[in-house]
Amino acid sequence: MRSGFYKQTIAEHLALTDSWTQRAWIAVALAALATAPFVLDTYLLTLVTLMMITAVGGIGLNILTGWTGLISLGQTGFMVLGAYGYAIPVETWGWDPLAGFLLAGLVPAAASVLVGIPSLRLTGLYLAITTLASAFIVVHLVLEFPGLTNGASGIFVNRPTVLGWTVFTDQDLFRLVAIFLVLTILGALNLRRSRIGRAWFAIRDKDDAARVMGVDLRTYKLYAFVASSFVVGLSGALYGIFLSFVTVDGFPFLLSIEALAMLIVGGMGSIAGAVLGAVFLVGLPEVVSMVFSAFGDSARALLSTGAHEVKGVLYGLVIIGFLRLQPEGLMGLWRDAQRVWTLWPLRY
Amino acid sequence: MNYLIELLVSGLAVGAVYGLIAMSFAIIFKATGLLNFAQGEMGMITAYVAFSIASATDGNPWLTAAGAIVFSVLFALAVERIVIRPMVDEPILARIMTTIGLAVIFRSGTMLVWDALPHDMGLAAGSALVDLGGVRVRGAQIGVVVALAVAVAAMLAFFRYSRFGIAMRAVASDDATARLMGVKTARVQQAAWGAAAVMSGIAGALFAIAWELSPSLYALGLKSFPATILGGLDSVVGSAFGGVVIGITENLVGGYLSPGLKEVAGFVIIIAILMVRPYGLFGEKRIERL
Repeated sequence: MRSGFYKQTIAEHLALTDSWTQRAWIAVALAALATAPFVLDTYLLTLVTLMMITAVGGIGLNILTGWTGLISLGQTGFMVLGAYGYAIPVETWGWDPLAGFLLAGLVPAAASVLVGIPSLRLTGLYLAITTLASAFIVVHLVLEFPGLTNGASGIFVNRPTVLGWTVFTDQDLFRLVAIFLVLTILGALNLRRSRIGRAWFAIRDKDDAARVMGVDLRTYKLYAFVASSFVVGLSGALYGIFLSFVTVDGFPFLLSIEALAMLIVGGMGSIAGAVLGAVFLVGLPEVVSMVFSAFGDSARALLSTGAHEVKGVLYGLVIIGFLRLQPEGLMGLWRDAQRVWTLWPLRY
Repeated sequence: MNYLIELLVSGLAVGAVYGLIAMSFAIIFKATGLLNFAQGEMGMITAYVAFSIASATDGNPWLTAAGAIVFSVLFALAVERIVIRPMVDEPILARIMTTIGLAVIFRSGTMLVWDALPHDMGLAAGSALVDLGGVRVRGAQIGVVVALAVAVAAMLAFFRYSRFGIAMRAVASDDATARLMGVKTARVQQAAWGAAAVMSGIAGALFAIAWELSPSLYALGLKSFPATILGGLDSVVGSAFGGVVIGITENLVGGYLSPGLKEVAGFVIIIAILMVRPYGLFGEKRIERL
């Protein structure tokens, strides 16, 4: 009987998929994404679109936190940079949306170099503090340069025309976001199996050992930060298109917490985990509001006036609860289930 | 000239608030190696409880102060026991995330329990204007500077002369060895949480009296980070100094350059300090560079 799932050769470690079961799952997921716009109603379609945008951001943060072991609280800041990096050239200067998406990644990536160089040469939790600081600096910079950013009133964002394809309906937006999600996942998976990705894992697991193996810590941490900010910036641009409006208020600090919660819920360091976490966290307030409305009008009133606050409390409880009870996250639960399935009736 | 003095005086008062919260960060970091991201929120909750007590007792300052201090200690001990202690053997990443989770719960919970509107604390003594040689300040602003001075003196004496303070220094330098020497590490860490709660609670409540009570009070915690970093994360007294420096700098920047820059001046300072002197002015040079 099989006692576990072991990879024995380098080739197995480098393969994108490791079994036919996995390939079948991927095919199912792709088919679901392709058929969803025809099947789902507007409410569900919007919800799933939001889940996918959140997942793109989660995968971006996962590069930094899950793979390299660095905490960032600057998700909001990089999303704002990405959103304005897209909105200003496309809407104000009339550039092509593709160039806008490129800038949406490049602007946060450049900012992350500025923040990263002073903070990444320190060990410990300094990146959490500097990214927190940078999130606030970004918001104030946006408000300080109204000539470029239109200040507090923000920029209206049209749905883009990409390579002749005009994204107009909610179904089109869903497809656009789905394409970005798939591309992000592919890109992240390929980064993970590269030399850089393996260096990140080495740093996360033991930085001294990684250094002995010839990994230059500062350089590779900076790579992780830049790659992560690029992806997070893309999710910011998508979120701006989703809201059809880019303002500072559209990107509350809670987004940073949401992104971290997503990784904890899904399971650190796994892309499937980040996606699961996004589904869980975006879905959670909806489920809670359904439960609340079953309790009658007073509960519903509380939820409508304090939706943002209820969400905050939920995120906090989810973070602490998962860290305490299920530190491996939903992916850990899934792995446990697989183990039980294979080994039953034995326990190990 | 008068403008400059006014900026300096109100900067000193804000700086004292930052200093008290920064001391709370530092004492918890010293005793437990953990940066408590929920410290500003805990100060805010104490301020709100003080507000509730003040409304219930028609603004009796003594009852309010006593009630708020007792509450802040009990609250911190409960949080430490229920949420923080069980995570003690987890990786540092998980422990920090726990405090971040707490911060969100407190911040949002405060808005649900009380409301999102600004309030007046209703303590006449604290908000009365006092004339100090031509500069008019509120009583609570003087109070917070005095509180900072008292806290610094108390901390200096505590770490120098008290057995418990020496035990805390032992835990800070090596908790395993300290435990082998018979120091009750858990007790020391509880004391650190309690002391931090009192300091940040006083800071939060006095800030609410002198300016206003609103849910944006939690930002005091964020704005005290620069103070702790400047003073040194593990230097309790240094953090107090850092707070005063940051408060005055912020006010001067706001007064002479631009009000928007005032909000971010501290955060720019963080990044600058980390480039030049990452262990702060008074911290130990233990922090490793790569």
